[in-house]
Amino acid sequence: MLAERSLGAVEGLFYRLVTAPQGVAGALSGLGLTADDLVVSDARLDAAGRLEVYANMYFFRLLDVLRGDYPKTLAVLGDAAFHNLVTDYLAAHPPANPSIRFAGDGLPAFLTGHPLCGQRAWLVDLALLEWARVDLFDAVDAVPLCLDDLGQVPPEDFVSLRLQPIPAHRVVQVCFDVAPLWQAIEEGAAPPQDAVPREAALLVWRKGVTVWHRAVSVEEAELLALAARGATFGELCERLGASLTVEEAARSAFAHLARWTSDELLTRALALTTSDPTERNGTVL
Amino acid sequence: MHGFPNLGHGIGLRTVHYREVVADRPAVDWFEVITENFTMPGGNPRRVLRAVRERYPVVLHGVSLSLGSVDPLNEAYLSDVAELAAETEPAWISDHLCFSSFGGHTGHDLWPLPYTEEALAHVSARIVRVQERLGRRILVENVSSYLRYAHSTVTEWEFLTALCHRADCGLLLDVNNVYVSAKNHGFDARTFLQGVPADRVGQIHLAGHSADGPLLLDTHDHPVCDDVWELYRDAVARFGPVSTLVEWDAQIPPLGRVIEETQRAAAIEAEVTASGTAVAFAPSQSWEASHAG
Repeated sequence: MLAERSLGAVEGLFYRLVTAPQGVAGALSGLGLTADDLVVSDARLDAAGRLEVYANMYFFRLLDVLRGDYPKTLAVLGDAAFHNLVTDYLAAHPPANPSIRFAGDGLPAFLTGHPLCGQRAWLVDLALLEWARVDLFDAVDAVPLCLDDLGQVPPEDFVSLRLQPIPAHRVVQVCFDVAPLWQAIEEGAAPPQDAVPREAALLVWRKGVTVWHRAVSVEEAELLALAARGATFGELCERLGASLTVEEAARSAFAHLARWTSDELLTRALALTTSDPTERNGTVL
Repeated sequence: MHGFPNLGHGIGLRTVHYREVVADRPAVDWFEVITENFTMPGGNPRRVLRAVRERYPVVLHGVSLSLGSVDPLNEAYLSDVAELAAETEPAWISDHLCFSSFGGHTGHDLWPLPYTEEALAHVSARIVRVQERLGRRILVENVSSYLRYAHSTVTEWEFLTALCHRADCGLLLDVNNVYVSAKNHGFDARTFLQGVPADRVGQIHLAGHSADGPLLLDTHDHPVCDDVWELYRDAVARFGPVSTLVEWDAQIPPLGRVIEETQRAAAIEAEVTASGTAVAFAPSQSWEASHAG
């Protein structure tokens, strides 16, 4: 018998019943209640069946969203295992954000300790890559730097040029080489069941309205991180100069700059600092 | 009532139609967008919304206000809605009579409320706070439901009527939801239409549903069925020409097919209003006037 029927008690009970991994009947049994204590039965459907409608909607709506967010992880695991994974995940991490877009944000971390990863630790890296792609799809916009913009920069000013990566970029550090695996599934191959253990940095970014990713060297990842922290082009050259000649460092830095510009990875809001400390703010293209 | 002009006949803006809507400027009076799909700051959704807003009136329709929840109102979410509204300048903002969160967790569903005095007082107070936060009167939609609580003390339409007056909000009347709930619970859909306050209906929703065993589910994956068109005819006769929107969210057909549904709605509205009966949305004064000082 339901002892309390305050709004809070009723909402709490409803929530427990429709989100219970063991189903409405199991949850009711555990609570020593019957569905009729809460809900009206009629000739069409009994009270427990009516609660089950909501329980199914809760789970399958979220399952659909996660299937959309993690299509490659789904392809590797198959429908049944992915279904069970989502059941476990939702029990441990019920959604908390008003936007369903965030429902899957904790899945990579959750996978880390999940039995499914016992023999396939690389699933975590695959999920990290997939989530980064979801997360950057609607990240903050920025007007990208283009080659014409660079053409306006006097050669002597390049050394003081600050390169600012766009907000819609992320470098994902992985322990397994999952990018080829992702690509194979994308191209319709049978989902690989193994990945090569190899630490790598995967650059994920949005160009226009499309999200891309590619493996980057440790060097390129470091340069991007330096740029994001406000380093000038000259400082990037200095970093490269630690292991290269001055000419090689400059050539390498310009090669990165050309690639990043082509990838629309830099914002147009370039701050041109000058050697005069009183003009540190410089100009903006 | 101020704040809810008759925009004509619109459709819900859906991803599969983005390109065609932006490129072809189809003959649609207005678009409704799901608020939560556009609260993120960048990327294609906001780009599309800006392009659509340049050419059409837009309305924000939310699913996450959780007006009936005993959880605190989500202030961060409200700020997102306010920010989106400031950029989009929607004709109005709407959400649902339901709860969708408990204990800080969200169900991403429209869960039914018990129709009790306690719930009425609670929801009314929250709507008042939301309206103060957004600086405008909102529309609250009746949801499709698949259960009734044993301890409810009034009908859904009695609850909605009291809610509109106590919270000074408007009503987004979803005719398909009325039909689905009527079938699922065995009440007369026309009694529902007669029971809600005509002067508070600021918008009408139409949609398709599907049968699942003994119940109808509000799946938005079919055309509007003949029974719902008939109920819409009754709604227009009672409420007059009200902004009407067709929702189609799954098994979505080509844009032209959705537009055909709005054209059918427009034809029914024209036919019914030509015959005479119409009560415009007309509470006595604007939200701003009634809340000044």
